[in-house]
Amino acid sequence: MSILDVNYAAILVDGLSFALPLLIIAIGGIYSERSGIVNLALEGLLGFGAFVGALFVASTAGLFAAHSDLPMYFSFLFAAIGGGMFAVIHAVLCIKFMANQVISGVVINILSVALTGFFTSTINANFFGQASERFMLQTSPRWDIPFLMDIPILGAAFTRVYPFMLIILVVATFFWYLLYKTQFGMRVRAAGDNPQALDAAGVNVSRVRFGAVVISGVLAGIGGMSFAYSISTNFSPAIYMGFGFLAIAALIFGNWKIIPTFAACLIFGLTRSAAFNLLPVFDASAAVLDLALAAPFVVTLVLLAVFGKKNMAPRALGDVYDKSKR
Amino acid sequence: MAKQDAGLSQEIILEVRNLTKRFPGIVACDNISLDIRKGEIYALLGENGAGKSTLASMIFGLYQPDEGQIYIRGQAVSIDSPNEAVALDIGMVHQHFKLVSNYTVAENIILGDEPRKKALGLFPYVDIKSAEARIEQLSRDYGLEVDPRAVIHDLGVSTQQRVEILKMLYRDAEILIFDEPTAMLTPQEIESLLQIIKNLRDQGKTVIFITHKLDEVMEVCDRCAILVRGKLVDISNTADTSPRELASKMVGRDIEFSAKRPTKGMGDTILEVEGLRVEDANGFPKVNDVSFKVHAGEIFAVAGVSGSGQTELADAIAGLAKTKKGDIKLKGHSLSKMNVRKRSEDGIAYIPEDRQSVGLVLDFCLDQNLALKSYYRKPYCKTSLLKPVAFSEHAKGLIDDFDIRCARGPKTITREMSGGNQQKAIVGREIDQGADLLIFVQPTRGLDIGAIMAIRERILDERDKGKAVLLISLELDEVMDLADTIGVMYAGQMLKVAAAADLSMNQVGEFMMGVTGNE
Repeated sequence: MSILDVNYAAILVDGLSFALPLLIIAIGGIYSERSGIVNLALEGLLGFGAFVGALFVASTAGLFAAHSDLPMYFSFLFAAIGGGMFAVIHAVLCIKFMANQVISGVVINILSVALTGFFTSTINANFFGQASERFMLQTSPRWDIPFLMDIPILGAAFTRVYPFMLIILVVATFFWYLLYKTQFGMRVRAAGDNPQALDAAGVNVSRVRFGAVVISGVLAGIGGMSFAYSISTNFSPAIYMGFGFLAIAALIFGNWKIIPTFAACLIFGLTRSAAFNLLPVFDASAAVLDLALAAPFVVTLVLLAVFGKKNMAPRALGDVYDKSKR
Repeated sequence: MAKQDAGLSQEIILEVRNLTKRFPGIVACDNISLDIRKGEIYALLGENGAGKSTLASMIFGLYQPDEGQIYIRGQAVSIDSPNEAVALDIGMVHQHFKLVSNYTVAENIILGDEPRKKALGLFPYVDIKSAEARIEQLSRDYGLEVDPRAVIHDLGVSTQQRVEILKMLYRDAEILIFDEPTAMLTPQEIESLLQIIKNLRDQGKTVIFITHKLDEVMEVCDRCAILVRGKLVDISNTADTSPRELASKMVGRDIEFSAKRPTKGMGDTILEVEGLRVEDANGFPKVNDVSFKVHAGEIFAVAGVSGSGQTELADAIAGLAKTKKGDIKLKGHSLSKMNVRKRSEDGIAYIPEDRQSVGLVLDFCLDQNLALKSYYRKPYCKTSLLKPVAFSEHAKGLIDDFDIRCARGPKTITREMSGGNQQKAIVGREIDQGADLLIFVQPTRGLDIGAIMAIRERILDERDKGKAVLLISLELDEVMDLADTIGVMYAGQMLKVAAAADLSMNQVGEFMMGVTGNE
């Protein structure tokens, strides 16, 4: 295989199909962290969301027509709910009980791996009568977007797209609008910079932060479900591949702002798909493939080392807000 | 009391009756009764810890009184939260501003009370445009110069304070409480703030002004209530009283105002700074080609408006900032190769500007803080083990010598102490080093008269013992009162160095503004 045979269109669309779920998870992280709550739990949230979504698909398999796409759309809704519910744990620990936010996040990640692994196996064994540690999903349809796909070069980005990519674009736009244009968004961003100011303005800081953390779970769930469809077509604990942490890297690299974070996600996505699609050119072995999987993380390290200095984390990030202390 | 200015209304807008607030171990406000008329500037005067802020906090709903009643426009009210205070048209500018640093002025002002509109009749959004217009109108009406689109972290302290004032006006506050509003400001900024406060009164607002600075009370306030240790001792019409009278009521004894005491004669050169250049992170010179000498038995005071490079100068001498060019010599030898600890052991004591973050570890006990410069030596540390007894013995000595008031002696958590006593602790620790050079940066900022006098007295004592003192202060009074030699910094340069006797306050003021044409 020569360099000319590489499927450049695939690099583009594969890159996007990785970048967009990463983006929606990162936006979730941005909500939480802009409100002042450190969220290392994204990994666990995306996994738990995907688990709930996949459980819905697995348990309703008989209710829908054989090749219906409806279960897939519903699975995203359930993944969002599942992620949001799991995030409530983080919110309660960090806000109500003023726990250390880093520890809470790490614990939720471990808990998520353990719970989803356990429940997947037991549910499979007890309800579906098969010994398996995964829920199978249907193959997602892939669409060609009319007209846009005919654009030279960039048109490739509009061929064979996953429906979730469009869902994410809509959801991401909505949450961008919510964060930057509305009253709620304004309060979220204020909570992460100076919660005392928000409190003095008569706003309940805890409530705003609670909402932001739950949103982070909702969005991470949607992202996790997307990965389940695009990467493996099933849910198994193999979904915990560190993408939640990659999303954190993206949002830090994007300076806790949505548009620059999108750029970071694109870089990560394209790096990954380029590594995958270019490997055959060099006759690489499977071992090298493992190395290629690490490409986005290596890029992260390099980028953070170069641009890390300019980063401005939310000022009150990680601060426990105790109203009684003035 | 019978005769009032014709313009001043007799309507009582705020009345407190027998207000008492207790905290564990202390009665912060003890049976206080006041009435405040609509349209007056009413001062709450007292030293730190006198209960002024507690009283104001009860009026603003931050604390609830244990006893007593508040009346607004004759109505008995119970103010359980700042929200309720705002609903009663009460506003407060806190000593530490409550602003979101990465928000614009307008966003900060509307936070919590955001005007909303709907795009296409469907999507709600915060209507920042109309808010900006209203803020511009307000800032014109009250003479508060502010750009509603500027971002807070780009603004200076005094502008941020104007934003806090606009926040109150935006919510239609009628009773405006200012908690120590001049503590962080330069003399020029204070002047303009006082003018703003007068404007507010002239527009019919009622102002409650918390302060411990007598000249401000005399300049703007109509009446003033003096609090001492939680008790109301007197209410005066400022027109009928004098600063000296107020001061003695406030401190409970007569105060010697001018501490002027000339040097007993200067000795050898202790500190020599030659062509010093210090840059900030962007390579911009904060200290530019500065040279001067400080002798034994001399107080060399550096005057200048805030940000003229004084802090960087002091940091460079102490070893906290990098010297880019030039040299600093102590007793004839260069310090350039020495780190902070070596310099301290070599004879530099440093009382930093930011006492809470640079001078102390707030969550340590007092005895540990008092040994911060010596904990690694005998007798505090033997064979790598700390000796707690040595710490507390040492602390007890300093607590007595420097009159540091601390509830639980050497084991008091430093954070719990008042600002004045924290500063006394630092001054005590540094003087105790027996250093040849003492650097004082803003040593009395934000302190009450009692503490200011005590610290100034210490500075003079050390000078009289033959120490060299480098005093950096934004308070021109302090410079004029203490200095033997005055150096004026402007934009990073030492614009003028002269014997204190040869400079008038006005001349120093002009040099501070960069004017050199008066020679």
